[in-house]
Amino acid sequence: MGHGHHEIEVKQEQFVFSPKAKRFSIILMVLGLILTGIGIATMDNHSENHNPTTVSSDSHETHGESTVVNNEGHAEEANASHEEEHGNVPNEKFGPRVAFHHQDKPASTRIWANMLIVGYFFLMISLTAVMWYAIQYVANAGWSSSIKRVPEAIMTFIPVAFVILMIALFMGKNEIYHWVHYEHLGLKPGDAGYDAILAGKSAFLNSNMLFIFPTLLVVIWYVMMRKLRSLSVAEDNATKGDSSFFKKSIRFSAGFAVLFGFTISVVAWLIIMSVDAHWYSTIFGFYNFVTHWVTMITIMAFIVAYLKKEGYLGIVTNEHIHDLGKYMFAFTIFWAYLWLSQYLLIWYAQIPEEMAYYQIRFEDYKPNFLANFFMCFCIPFLGLLMRSAKRNRYVLAIIGSIMIIGHYHDVWLMVTPGVFGTGMTFGFMEIGMLLLVGGIFMWWVFTALTKRGLIAVNHPFLEESVHHDVGV
Amino acid sequence: MGILDKKLSLRHRNKMLIGVWEDEDQLVAAASELVHAGVHIHDIYTPYPVHGLDRIIGARRSKLARIAFFCAIIGFTLMTTMIWYMSVHDWPMNIGNKPVRFTPSWAPVMFEGTVLCTAFGMSFFFFWRNRLVHGIKNETLDIRQTDDRLIVAIETVPGMDEKSILNMMKNGGAIEMREFENGVQTVI
Repeated sequence: MGHGHHEIEVKQEQFVFSPKAKRFSIILMVLGLILTGIGIATMDNHSENHNPTTVSSDSHETHGESTVVNNEGHAEEANASHEEEHGNVPNEKFGPRVAFHHQDKPASTRIWANMLIVGYFFLMISLTAVMWYAIQYVANAGWSSSIKRVPEAIMTFIPVAFVILMIALFMGKNEIYHWVHYEHLGLKPGDAGYDAILAGKSAFLNSNMLFIFPTLLVVIWYVMMRKLRSLSVAEDNATKGDSSFFKKSIRFSAGFAVLFGFTISVVAWLIIMSVDAHWYSTIFGFYNFVTHWVTMITIMAFIVAYLKKEGYLGIVTNEHIHDLGKYMFAFTIFWAYLWLSQYLLIWYAQIPEEMAYYQIRFEDYKPNFLANFFMCFCIPFLGLLMRSAKRNRYVLAIIGSIMIIGHYHDVWLMVTPGVFGTGMTFGFMEIGMLLLVGGIFMWWVFTALTKRGLIAVNHPFLEESVHHDVGV
Repeated sequence: MGILDKKLSLRHRNKMLIGVWEDEDQLVAAASELVHAGVHIHDIYTPYPVHGLDRIIGARRSKLARIAFFCAIIGFTLMTTMIWYMSVHDWPMNIGNKPVRFTPSWAPVMFEGTVLCTAFGMSFFFFWRNRLVHGIKNETLDIRQTDDRLIVAIETVPGMDEKSILNMMKNGGAIEMREFENGVQTVI
């Protein structure tokens, strides 16, 4: 500090969840419920042909070997020609599920799969908010200290998203994960339909692991998140200049960043990648991480822009908005980098068991596949390239909305072809679930924002954030 | 194109008043006082970035970003043409029965080529503009501007009250003041 500087006094602000915002949140939820209802009502109702309760173990006991790996309940449909048509003939190398149609699954699968997607999406968003928060501490970042209450609010959504995810896993695990279904068959080497790949992975891919592992990790992450949050509010109430909370936050942040960085991949493999259990990609976890990371930053930029518009966050300037825009832009490129890295190697090597993942997505979901790339890369890249675009809240709002839908659709595209095979569409139910949980998310996060002051008044780097300037 | 403008060279300038500062906070205060008094500051040379100075002296935005964009376009075109010529036009090869036209395998080449051209182009133009390219004589007003001193250069115009400007500089914390004319500096 030079001679000219003098200690600045930053006033604490108290956020009020305005009735207008409450109304908007409720509209989102109601609209989401209506769209989900329309989605459920107009769903292909084929459950009379495919009884979901007989999907798992009953079929193979009552119908013998010919239907051992078939998901269909009725023997008269499960004749040999039908199996060939759907490619369900057991195959030693690639496993039994090469191609099938979504009507092979009970109708309720779609509800559980959508809950899984939306629960996972928001769980990862709230977890990446903790990661972002931790990185700011570990990197000694000063510019972000004026907006740190926003990720602090987003991260409180972890338990809600986790409950949604767990309900989906509990209710739909038999239909979503073919390895859970396979586990119930209890096949031994030499049996018809025995799958060496699934058997080899059963130490990791089994239904106990599916519940224990994510629960354990989320509890650990949640406890660390609570600790970071309590340190932050304790700093507010401490005397000015007391940096002990700050130092403690750095230590907890470093621990969280290392733990989360390693374990998030495993959760992505277990919950999302395993819908195609024969397929694997080592980059998948990071790809999942960055998809949600860039979405979380977009949501954060939205909340900061909203707070600015409502007259809060007096110390936040266009410079901070610009930096959030840069973050969105940079990680859009990083997303495309990982997207291409995963695709390019598989495309080049052309090994059948790796190709299977892209085969179905490129052949049967081509519009979705291309739309994914456009919404997550082309539009944000070109839209946010200019400096003036990153500093303009309206441009950020439009591009950011496309990005959020794009990345949600990205997760949808990871799960859906693996669960349903061909013929599924991104319809009312998918959009409805996003709006419904989005509305709950907004309510929850805005309520969390009211629980403490909007400014971390005793943060040692707050003054740096006040003077933050990226130059002309 | 501004980057090639001969007027940028200090030799083609009128007489200059030069002030040397030691403390950046005093400099910021003095610079804003000078600007408020209606003095046009030609430039301020600092060994490290001083926040806010660019806005005070009304510096225009750097053209480096635009140069980067054009270099990127050139690099992208160059690499696309190159790989098209190599693998489609001149010597198409069958690699794993992959198509030769516009395949994902082109992406890394295009990407890396774009980045390479952008990085080289930006460095080159940046050094050229700062007169650090071989063959261009660099004009350092004061060698200490690369170390720990902050140098303010004010170009004089006819009818300017030089005395009062020098006074303002002295009161604003300048530790040294000089005149620069025809390549010769005289201490005041």
